[in-house]
Amino acid sequence: MEKVIIIRYAEIHLKGKNRGYFERVFSVNLEKSLKGIRHELHRTSGRYLVAAFEEARAEEILARVSRVFGVHSYSLGYRVPADLERIFQAVQLVAPVSGTFKVDTHRADKRFPLTSMQINAEIGGRLLAQNELLKVDVHEPQSNVFIDVRENGTALVFGKFEAGAGGMPVGTSSKGLLLISGGIDSPVAGYMMAKRGMNVEYLHFHSYPYTNEQAKEKVLELARLLSRFALTQRLTTVSVTHIQEEIHAKCAPELNVTLLRRFMFRIAERIAKSQNAKCLITGESLGQVASQTIEGITSSNAVVTLPVLRPLVGFDKNEIIERAKKIGTYDTSVLPFEDCCTVFLPEFPAIKPKLSFIEEEEGKLDVEALVQEAVGNLEEIRF
Amino acid sequence: MIYLDNAATTQPSERAVARAAEYLKDKFYNPSARYHGGELVAKELKESRDALVGFVADRTEYDLVFTSCGTEADNQAVFSAGKRGNVVISAGEHAAVYNSAVALKNRGIELRIALLRRDGSVDSEEFLRLIDEKTSLASLVHVNNETGAVNDVAAVAEAVKRKNPRCVFHSDGVQAFGKIPFRLNSAIDLYSVSAHKIGALKGTGALLRRKTCNLSPLVYGGGQEGALRSGTENTFGIACFRYAAEEKFACLEKNAVRLSGLRERLWALLDPALFERISPNHGSPYILTVSAACLRGEVLQRMLWDRGVAVGTGSACSSKKPHSRVIEACGYSAKTLDGVLRVSFAAETTEEEVACCAREMNFVARKLKEKLK
Repeated sequence: MEKVIIIRYAEIHLKGKNRGYFERVFSVNLEKSLKGIRHELHRTSGRYLVAAFEEARAEEILARVSRVFGVHSYSLGYRVPADLERIFQAVQLVAPVSGTFKVDTHRADKRFPLTSMQINAEIGGRLLAQNELLKVDVHEPQSNVFIDVRENGTALVFGKFEAGAGGMPVGTSSKGLLLISGGIDSPVAGYMMAKRGMNVEYLHFHSYPYTNEQAKEKVLELARLLSRFALTQRLTTVSVTHIQEEIHAKCAPELNVTLLRRFMFRIAERIAKSQNAKCLITGESLGQVASQTIEGITSSNAVVTLPVLRPLVGFDKNEIIERAKKIGTYDTSVLPFEDCCTVFLPEFPAIKPKLSFIEEEEGKLDVEALVQEAVGNLEEIRF
Repeated sequence: MIYLDNAATTQPSERAVARAAEYLKDKFYNPSARYHGGELVAKELKESRDALVGFVADRTEYDLVFTSCGTEADNQAVFSAGKRGNVVISAGEHAAVYNSAVALKNRGIELRIALLRRDGSVDSEEFLRLIDEKTSLASLVHVNNETGAVNDVAAVAEAVKRKNPRCVFHSDGVQAFGKIPFRLNSAIDLYSVSAHKIGALKGTGALLRRKTCNLSPLVYGGGQEGALRSGTENTFGIACFRYAAEEKFACLEKNAVRLSGLRERLWALLDPALFERISPNHGSPYILTVSAACLRGEVLQRMLWDRGVAVGTGSACSSKKPHSRVIEACGYSAKTLDGVLRVSFAAETTEEEVACCAREMNFVARKLKEKLK
């Protein structure tokens, strides 16, 4: 009897002719997520099986599998030779100790001497005989015992389905560049796009020496946490210090943030293209702060041609916080840090800046030179 | 790198480390072992203990408990003595005392906090006023780590004892030990010191104790340190502490005089249009705290680092608690609090380093001011 993990996938079966491609990406991602743990990954019809691992690390494997997008559900179970006695031994390990239950057998190997119904009856009967606290309920059982008689002379026995992360295998929806600040929102935005199969690269803007190096460390930690879902392991950091100083020195103070964001988008687009990312991703949520109005969004979008995905645009802050907690980035996000936007923060930022005014103020700066300087000094951290 | 953040930590004395290295090589034995090697190390440990006590106190009256740091010594003092009635501290205490006292407060002990004067020293009259017959512990920092103000702990301790002879008097001497001339008088029951502030290593501290003062352990175990601090002794760190202290105490007064001169030299070289002085004129020779009003100390600190000068700020900055509690308690405005820089010297600091530091401080403050205009 061997402990195994059964993994079922989600939307892949919808993908028609592309199915093979989706399955390949999915299994590569599964392998990546299990890196460092000895195991074997087998594909059987419509599902994957993780086997040959150290039993002590089963929980760790389950936790990792639970984060892989494309997993619909997974179960911890046993693989035994397809023999009624051995099957029953495994059943005893997964069966409930009390309450109602149902045995649910799937028999792929039609050579097995008993039919599915007969196996259900036989195993159910044995369980009932052994434990008087159990009762059968085939309509609404409190617990299930699943038996899967495979064609290769083995059977899988398991007790429950755990819900997987859902979504699509990361990498099947191309790649995006996430603007990650160190706050609560951007990691959630990255998670949402990864869930839809997008590979995510990370870009962080800092304004050293106005902001400290810990801020960078914090973002790196967030990127690490996200990489458990999104798989990419590269963070690019860019200093916008000089840009902020120039804006502060030459432009209308109320446009400070608006102008800075336009620079960030320009820089992000160039980096995205060099990294073969097809879009920018931000954690903006409509109306959350002064720069996240539709006018603010319009002014930033105006300087780029790549699409800007804002998966949190319709979310309330508490909804975002809830998700951040669920994906495990919240505790890191709320560690104290200084956002580069707060250094030169004007007292009254423009909430609905007019594009003509923005362009007029921006005209006072050598935009191209500043962007080139910033991109020229980028740092890449592989983690 | 010109390192002038010696109140945070000091560069270990190469000589002290080299001398102590024998405890990492031939004499690595556990001092509790009952064979010759162990007993030899135990004997030498006692010599270090005696030497360290002897620098500031009468060995017949005082002994000391080695701890892992000054913070642990402070914690042990506060939690040992502050068991009932009320506890009196100053608003200028290091977090190790302050937060321990707040923890006592949460356990139901009344906490009384004496206000500070503008230079960071305690209003000693108020401190004494807060003492009554129910005070179980009075704790007053010797040298304020943020401004360098020196409290006359000997006099305050005596006055406290006159008011309540049963009250335990503790002083955090981390920024004083090995830096300013001082002896413990019999009114001071407990005194915390730390090794890494005087050229020894992080991970070693001690709590000096008047032998008649009861102390209870924070750490239980094999009964080392007279059962007051269990855990195998850090023989290397302790020896290093002793040797570094020997070096410092050998020229304590000479250093103090020289560094007072350097401190004033630095102040004289700083542009008065940019910096305001927070440190008192007659505080610790080792600390000059100033503020570049309307600028952020933390930003200046990083600009200075990039130009090869390391100095401190008012406190570790965070978006949630942006200002130093202690300097705020001195009564400064938020603008001043933002711009605090603490320059702190070591016995080895040279006049050239101070001159260069002043030049760079003027330069970065001017530059930042221009940029933020």
